[in-house]
Amino acid sequence: MSGGFSEILWHQQATLPLLAVLQLLPLAGAGLVLALGERLLAVRMGKVVALAELLMAAWVAAHIDSASPAFQLAERLPTLAYHVGVDGIAIVFILAAALLTFLMTLYGMSRGMISPGRLFAVLLVAETGFIGMLVALNVAWFAVFSLIELWSVVYLLRRWASSRAEIQALARFIQYQGFGWLMFAAGCVVLGWGHAEATGGRWSFDLFDLTGALPEGKFQTAAFYLLFYGLAVRTPLFPLHGWLPNMAQHGLIAVAPALMVGVKVGIFGMLRFVLPLTPAAVATWQPYVVGFAMAGVFFTAALAFQQTNLRRLLAFAVVSHTSLLVIGLFSLHEAGIQGAVLLSANFGLAVTGMWFIVGFVFRRTGTTELGELSGLFERIPFLAIAFLSFGLAIVGMPGTPGFDAAHLILEAAIDRFGALSTVATALGNVAAAGFLLWAFQRAFLSQARTGGLDVDRTLPMEYVVVGVALAAMLAIGFFTEPWLQLTEAASHVAAMRFVQ
Amino acid sequence: MNWPLLSLLVFSPLLTAALLWCLPRRAARWATAAGMLLTLALSSALPLAYDPSGPRFQLLEQAEWIAGLRVQYLLAVDGLSVLFPASTALLFLGALVAAWNRDAGDSRLYFSLLLGLESATLGIFCAHDLILFFVFWELTLIPVYFLLGRWPVTGGGAAVASRYFLIMIAGGVPLLIAFVIAGSGSSGFDLGALLAAPLPAERQWLFFLLCLIGFGLKVPLVPLHTWLPQFALAGPGALTALLVGLKLGAFGLLRIAMPLAPFVAQELHWLLVGLGTVSLLYGAVGMLAQSNLRVSMAYASICHVGLAVLGLASCTAQGVQGAVSLLLSFAVATGGAFLLLEFLRQRTGSTDIHALGGAARTMPLLATGFLICGLAGVGMPGTSSFPGEFLLILSALERHTGAGMAALFGLSIAAGAFLSLYRKAFFGPVTRPEVAQAEDLRPREWAVLVVLIGMVVVIGVYPGPWIDLLRPAAEAWAAGLSR
Repeated sequence: MSGGFSEILWHQQATLPLLAVLQLLPLAGAGLVLALGERLLAVRMGKVVALAELLMAAWVAAHIDSASPAFQLAERLPTLAYHVGVDGIAIVFILAAALLTFLMTLYGMSRGMISPGRLFAVLLVAETGFIGMLVALNVAWFAVFSLIELWSVVYLLRRWASSRAEIQALARFIQYQGFGWLMFAAGCVVLGWGHAEATGGRWSFDLFDLTGALPEGKFQTAAFYLLFYGLAVRTPLFPLHGWLPNMAQHGLIAVAPALMVGVKVGIFGMLRFVLPLTPAAVATWQPYVVGFAMAGVFFTAALAFQQTNLRRLLAFAVVSHTSLLVIGLFSLHEAGIQGAVLLSANFGLAVTGMWFIVGFVFRRTGTTELGELSGLFERIPFLAIAFLSFGLAIVGMPGTPGFDAAHLILEAAIDRFGALSTVATALGNVAAAGFLLWAFQRAFLSQARTGGLDVDRTLPMEYVVVGVALAAMLAIGFFTEPWLQLTEAASHVAAMRFVQ
Repeated sequence: MNWPLLSLLVFSPLLTAALLWCLPRRAARWATAAGMLLTLALSSALPLAYDPSGPRFQLLEQAEWIAGLRVQYLLAVDGLSVLFPASTALLFLGALVAAWNRDAGDSRLYFSLLLGLESATLGIFCAHDLILFFVFWELTLIPVYFLLGRWPVTGGGAAVASRYFLIMIAGGVPLLIAFVIAGSGSSGFDLGALLAAPLPAERQWLFFLLCLIGFGLKVPLVPLHTWLPQFALAGPGALTALLVGLKLGAFGLLRIAMPLAPFVAQELHWLLVGLGTVSLLYGAVGMLAQSNLRVSMAYASICHVGLAVLGLASCTAQGVQGAVSLLLSFAVATGGAFLLLEFLRQRTGSTDIHALGGAARTMPLLATGFLICGLAGVGMPGTSSFPGEFLLILSALERHTGAGMAALFGLSIAAGAFLSLYRKAFFGPVTRPEVAQAEDLRPREWAVLVVLIGMVVVIGVYPGPWIDLLRPAAEAWAAGLSR
């Protein structure tokens, strides 16, 4: 027991250090794929490793005891300050990350990318980064893994960048993310320094140590600001979202944005480190954060209506729904936190599915300008219906995982902020439904223009990629109970610090 | 009763829809018809299985669904809701047959969406858990969006579809919040438990007002009605018949909003009276200004549902009995009128009176059928609407005399407006070639009509058994309110 946290070491629960395997498997896979070069086997290995990682993640999920609030399968290696462990919340994110990476390998194949071997290697490196961040119980390790993940996205953007606009988008991306990362790193230093001050010179970045000696007063406010803004850029939270629209429009289609927003590591980071390490500052600044997020829901919805490009429009959809996640998280209410976790997984899955479909459309039409797309429903009805279903999942339509999660967030918001602000926020979500429907109507449902594009029918691989994502979403939507159980204990612990 | 009758009923259309995709394309239409017939048979078994002298809620089915949120899978019917599934199933079958070889050809998607809409609608009538109700409520939107967006009658159907979807999903927000408020007590979202233990008074206010917005949009109550006339114009006739014929919004008011907030429903009876009367008068006057029969029938439905709300506001057994029988009659009469207008549109390409004139000369059967349905719509004695309307007017005059007088006035305007439009469209000289060449109803269309008009007349002449079936539940409803 340390600072309100407890852990169960791995050898009490399993015969193998599962979390180490979980982190090393994609890294080893990346090395293998890279060594194989551009052979066909490399592509196949990439898929196999991604699938193995998904199964591994499911295995880990089966091993943990969701009723216990402790960090489980914990591993420690004091010489490297290596400390990992998972709770019910982390498991949800890990499963989402593994599933998305697997889908991306399938997607990468079906799109017929240039040098798929290299692409798969980078994807697996990014997955290592994700898993590393999601299991880390040391804030410095989290920062290092996040750097690995960012590097892989930068690599993807740079390798496939050719036009001026793409290079500009890359530059913007590096500026924003570099700045965000430095803020986060500075926050880590403040925390470590605070710990050193309190314990007489012993520096530590370990979550357990740090919660034992929380920074005081101004130190805590500074740490909160640095960590929160660093993660807010990553998330991205309005008004720090400037990098996303450009990157979505000009970056490597589907894969790059899906890597950045498919797995909500920003939300995870806030939940894992910001809330427990700076509780007093969080409570002080809660109204401002929620106020900004509420404004962000509407502001980005208004911006989304101005967009003429489907890829850019999706970027604004992401910013809009991220605001909702932050509202849930910063309700500092058990139900709200649980809802934010489930909704993160749901949004990530849904948005990635939409991005895949946009990629498939782009392969057929060579454009994602809404003015040039029309009548796609006639030619690719399955993809059209899937696009709408993902869109509705973002809005929290019943029958998708978004519904129960949104329900939880509403419950928390009614409790904390009253019914009227809750209605206002939920109406912002309806605005998101509005622009997604509007885009759907223009691109898919409108009459095909004469002399328009001749669009291929849906390919088998496309059925698989989109079908798997859709089936996962609907299955979770109607059987939410196991997921609620999985996240309940951990959400309870997270909210316990803020009982008013 | 060992069979899960309600689950079978609710999911039989959905299973049919799944089956369609395993069958060859040609068979889709007949398979859909068979599925809908099965659903009709199951729904007709409901009133037989229901024992009016037994406990109020019967055929209860219960299963754990999302225990963490205290949401259960609960289905049940009482005397007020037991007849709605049958009228729903009948109307869907009528809508299918009416558009038999129009609209969508053999598209399996079209039939699946229609069946999906049927499942969701039946679910609304049978749900006994607030969240389950809400799930079905929202799930109706998706099929409607696609049916209207993909197969519109006029240009701009997709825009109307989006607008409808957004208005309804915005209406879903207050509803969901109201339900969350209601479910935050100890009894969860179980409707039966919530009825037994009413909410504390201060929470009832918020609950009732939020529900009023959410359901009022669907009813639609003036001033939340703007989507309906547009929808009636752009929607395919079969779909409009379903949406206008099935008064989900009014059902929501009488099933959920009023019984769960009895104190506030009594306190705010003046608000309901006001909304009902304004809707009634507005709908009646709106009819006068229309030249298109479809839009005018949409206004007629605003007018009549206003009357139903007025009856509900009296909070008496008589009022709710009248409201339920009027809503049921609507499903048949207004639904039938829209189906006939769809036949007319298929023949002449329009339902505007300027493009018609003298239609009764070439299409006497259609004209007669439309007259009967239309007269049922204005509450002519001897038609199915009359018993309900009579009860409603009585209870309104008793409880709110002024509003009752205004209602009588509004209904006479509506009747006058209908007859005037009818005269212009169906009598007089034939001027248009489309009208002159139009043929009368074909056997298939004739069959739909005979069934619907048979229902209109039989219920109108011999209302006893239907009213009796409603009575015990209506009395329990009123007793629940006056606690």
